[in-house]
Amino acid sequence: MAAIGQVLGVGAQIKLVAGLRWRILRNSLRKKNNRMDLLGLIISATLGSIFVLGMCFAFGAGAYNFLAGGQESWIALLFWAIFLFWQGFPIMVAGFGATFEFRTLLRFPLKLGAFYTISLAYGLADVGAIASICWLISMTVGATAARPALAPVMVLAAILFVLMNVTLERLVGSWLERLLAGRRTRELFYVLFVVAMISIQFIQPAVRRYGHTALPRIRHLSPYLAVFPGSLAGRMITGAARHHFNDVWIGVGGLLLYLGVFTGFLWLRYSAQYRGEELSESVAPARVAVRSTARTQVNGDALSLLSPKIATMLRKEFHYLTRNSFAALLLIIPPVMVVFFSSQFAGRHPSVSHHAVSTDLFFPGMMAYMIFILMSPAYNCFAYEGRGIQSYFMAPVSFREILLGKNLMLVIVLALELILTIAVFNYWVGLPSTAVFIATIMAATFVVAGQLSVANWSSLSFPRKLQFGQMRGQRQSGMAVLITFGMQILLAGISAPVMFMGRWTGNSWLPAEAFAFLAAAAIGGYFASLHALTELAEKKKESLIEALCR
Amino acid sequence: MGDTAILTEQLTRRFGGLTAVDNVNLRVTAGQFFGFLGPNGAGKSTTIKMLTGLLSASSGRVELLGLDLAKDPVEVKRQIGVVPEGMGLFERLTGAEYLDFVGRMYGLDRPTTQKRSEELLEFMQLADRPKSMIADYSHGMQKKLALAAAVIHGPRILFLDEPFEGVDALAAGALKALLARMTERGVTIFLTSHVMEIVERLCSHVAIIHRGRLVAQGSLDELRAGITGPEGSKTTLEQIFLSIVGQSGGESSHVEELTWLL
Repeated sequence: MAAIGQVLGVGAQIKLVAGLRWRILRNSLRKKNNRMDLLGLIISATLGSIFVLGMCFAFGAGAYNFLAGGQESWIALLFWAIFLFWQGFPIMVAGFGATFEFRTLLRFPLKLGAFYTISLAYGLADVGAIASICWLISMTVGATAARPALAPVMVLAAILFVLMNVTLERLVGSWLERLLAGRRTRELFYVLFVVAMISIQFIQPAVRRYGHTALPRIRHLSPYLAVFPGSLAGRMITGAARHHFNDVWIGVGGLLLYLGVFTGFLWLRYSAQYRGEELSESVAPARVAVRSTARTQVNGDALSLLSPKIATMLRKEFHYLTRNSFAALLLIIPPVMVVFFSSQFAGRHPSVSHHAVSTDLFFPGMMAYMIFILMSPAYNCFAYEGRGIQSYFMAPVSFREILLGKNLMLVIVLALELILTIAVFNYWVGLPSTAVFIATIMAATFVVAGQLSVANWSSLSFPRKLQFGQMRGQRQSGMAVLITFGMQILLAGISAPVMFMGRWTGNSWLPAEAFAFLAAAAIGGYFASLHALTELAEKKKESLIEALCR
Repeated sequence: MGDTAILTEQLTRRFGGLTAVDNVNLRVTAGQFFGFLGPNGAGKSTTIKMLTGLLSASSGRVELLGLDLAKDPVEVKRQIGVVPEGMGLFERLTGAEYLDFVGRMYGLDRPTTQKRSEELLEFMQLADRPKSMIADYSHGMQKKLALAAAVIHGPRILFLDEPFEGVDALAAGALKALLARMTERGVTIFLTSHVMEIVERLCSHVAIIHRGRLVAQGSLDELRAGITGPEGSKTTLEQIFLSIVGQSGGESSHVEELTWLL
C-alpha cells in the first residue's frame, strides 16, 4: 500500500493557496487570446493603482491636517470611508470577481482552524483589503507626522480596524456565497445591483431638489453612528489626542467586541461549511400530491392567427422574457431614462441649461436612444438558449419560423415600450408636432426592420452563450458588438439627415414620407432575407451548437 | 429481412486533421433495438449527431426510413425522436411548457400536445413539480424529461444517447419496459450506452465503433459466435466488447506500472 502524505502546516498551506491564486490569474490571462482583454486589464490595473496611490496621499494628508489643525474628531470620517470601501467593494465585484471558490479547498486535509486562518489571509489579499490597508498605513504615517505621540494608539487602532474589517468582509462574503448559490437569489441580487446603478443617476437631481431639507435630518442621525466601527476607531485617536483615555479604552473595547462577535459568527459559518454544507442550485420543494387524472381542458389559443410553430416560438420567447431578470430589467430602463433625460434637458425646468431642447428634436432623439438600447440583444438573440438550441435543429421546423417567432416577440416588446415611453414623454415633456411624431414612428419602423436582418445574421454568425442572472463572464462576442455599433451608426447616419430634410426644405411632412418609403423597403428586405438566413443557419449549426452548448 | 430504418453509406466526419467517424456503413432494420457501443472518444456521439441532423457529414450518406436526410431533413426529423448528448432542454421553461413547445414544434395540435404532455409527466414521475423550471430539476429528472420530449410525437425511430445516465432504478425499469413495448410496435431504437448490461438486456443487435471505424456489427448471437468465452458459460457483451476493443485499448496493461499504489 502507498504511504500517506503528511498534513502541511498552516503557513505552507497559505503559501500553496497564494500560489494557486497566482496560477489561476496567470492562466486566465494566457487563455484570453484577445489582446484587447489583456490591454483592458493592464489599463484598469494601472488606473486602479493610480487611484489607490492618490487616495493614499489624500488619507495621509487628511490625517495630518485633522490632527495638526486640532480637528481630531474628523479623523473618524477617514475610518468610515475605509470601512465603507472595504465592505462595499467586494459586494460590488461579487458577480465579476475571480472564479476561484475558496470553499473548494475543503476537499483537502485541512483543520477547521487552518481553514479559518487561510480564509482570513485570503481576505487580506483581496484588492479592496490591500487598498484599505495602504490607506490605513498612510493615515498612520500622516498622524505620526502630525503628533508623534499618537503613533502607538494609531497603530493599535489600525491593527484592530484591519482585523475587524477582514473578519466582517469574510463573514459577509460567506453569507453572500450562500445566498448567491440559489438561482433566484442570484437573479434578485443582480436586479438590485442594476437598479442601484440606475438609481445613482438620480442622486444629483434629488440632492439638488431635497438637499437643503434633508441635511438637518442627516445631522440629527449622526450621534447614533458613534457605536459603529468607523466612529469607534476615530474615538480612540480623538481620545488619545485630547488625553481622554476613557475614550481610547471605549474605542478599543468596542472594536474588540465587534471583532469577537464577527469572529464567532464567521467561525459558525465556516464550521457549517467544514461539516459539508450543501450550496446547491435548487432546494427540493415539498412533495405535493400527484394528480390522479390528467387535466385535458385546453383554453382557446390567443395566437391562432399565427402559424402554430411561430405561435409556439412566440410563447416560448414570452416565457423566457418573464424569467430573465436582465431582459425584463432592460424593459424598465428606457422609460426611466426618458424621465431622467427629460428632467435634465427638456420640459419646463431643465436642470442642465436654462433653455429646454425643442420637443421636435428631443422626441426623435429619445426614441432613437430607446430603440438602440432595446435592439442590442437582437444581435445575439440565441444567447440564452443554451443547450435548447439543439431542439431547433432536431425538430421538423424551418429556421425561418424560429427567426420569425423571435423577431415578432421583439417587435411586440418594442411596440409596447414605444407606447409606454410616448405616454411618459407626453406626461413629462409633451408630444412634438404631428408631422415629427409620424416621421419618428416611420423612422422607428425603418430602423427596427433595417436592423432585424443584420441582427439575425449576426446572431447566427457570432453567437455567444450568456447565462441568466449572472454577471460574471457575461459578454457579447466582439464581432456582434462591432456589428451592433456599425449598424446603429449607419442607421443614425441615414435617419438624421432625413429627419432634418423637413426643416431644410420647409416641407414638414417630407421626412414622414421618406421614412415610410424606407420602412417599406426595409420590411421587404427583411422578409427577403429569411430564406438566406435559413440556409445560413443550416451551414452554421455546428458552430452555433458548439457555442451555446458549452 | 424487414424494412431498413437506418442506413448509412461511407459516413465520415472530419474535424480538421482528426477523422472522428471514418466510412461507417450501418444498417438497422425497422423495429430493432439497436445498441451502438464504443469506448470514450470512439465517435458514438458524432455518429448519432450526424444521424439526427445535428452535425453535417464530411462525406457519405444517411438514409432514415427510406428518406435521404440531406435532401429531406424536415420530413426525416418529423419521424424521429432524439435524446441528444446534452439533452437539448430549454432550462427556463417548466417541464410542461417544454413538452408543449416540443409537441407543437412537431406539428401536434394543442389538445393532443397537452394530453400527451400530462400523461408523459405522470409516467416519468415529473408531474408533482408543475411550477419548477427545468434548471431546477436534478440531472436524472432532466434526462427523463428529455426522453418524454423525444417520444411525445410518436416517432418511428428513437435515438438515445446515454438515456439512463442519472435516472433512478425505478424510473429506469419503467422506461426500459416502455422502450421494449415501443420496439414491439415497430419503433426502431438506436441507443448508445457505456453500461454493457443495459445494452445486453435491451438490444437485439449491436454495432461497435472504435477510433471512428465500425469494428463489429450484428445480432448478439452473431457477435458471440466469433468470440471464445470462458468454458461452459455464455459470453457476455462486456467480454465481446473487451475482446474487440480492449486489446488495442491498453488501459489494463499498464496497471502493473503503478507499483507505488499497489
